Amino acid sequence: MPFGEIGAFLLVLVAVFLFGNLWFHFVETILNRIKKLFTRRKEPPTWHMLSPDEEDRKNG
Amino acid sequence: MGLFSKLFKGPEIDMEKSDANAKKMRALFNQVVEDGDSYRLIFGYTEDVSRFNYGFVHGSKTKIGNLIVGWNAASQTIVVVPTVPDLSGCGDPTYYRRSEILKAYRNKYPTDAFIIYPDKKGYIAINAYDWLEDEKLYVYVSQDAELAAFTDFFMNRFATK
Repeated sequence: MPFGEIGAFLLVLVAVFLFGNLWFHFVETILNRIKKLFTRRKEPPTWHMLSPDEEDRKNG
Repeated sequence: MGLFSKLFKGPEIDMEKSDANAKKMRALFNQVVEDGDSYRLIFGYTEDVSRFNYGFVHGSKTKIGNLIVGWNAASQTIVVVPTVPDLSGCGDPTYYRRSEILKAYRNKYPTDAFIIYPDKKGYIAINAYDWLEDEKLYVYVSQDAELAAFTDFFMNRFATK
């Protein structure tokens, strides 16, 4: 197989890969927006930060 | 011998980092759990695997949730606290008391996770290993002895079947 044909085939593969990635991110963005519409009123879970005092005491 | 033994020795655990993280795990756990020192701790994680098929693009996405898992053998209670790999903070604890749960068992396939059903509506699958190298995804802690103790507790005193 000549190098030109191999190069063309690789280019097609790259194009398919790029289009696949774009399509994936496009669908994901739409799905995330739809999910956000339904979870807007939900309160975020409580989060506790590691207190520096506690950390120092344990390390000390 | 020297060169090849070094080449094939595999990854080595940074015990200093592991010990520091074990202390942070304890500090976080005690911050949110009453009488936290009466619990022994291991690091575990949950996996949320979702498969997708968007036309010709298909694959899977895995979300990892890091957990500090505490257990008290006397009260037959497991406490699960969600956290992040750098242990900068944690969420609220969830208590699983053996007398209150629906069932608990150790899974065999696809992973040997510890499964707890608090009720019929949901379950938690806790995966735990001696040590996981990828510190971007998991808490960097070496826990051979603690994991063995937790497995023994879970199988012999907590599992319902």
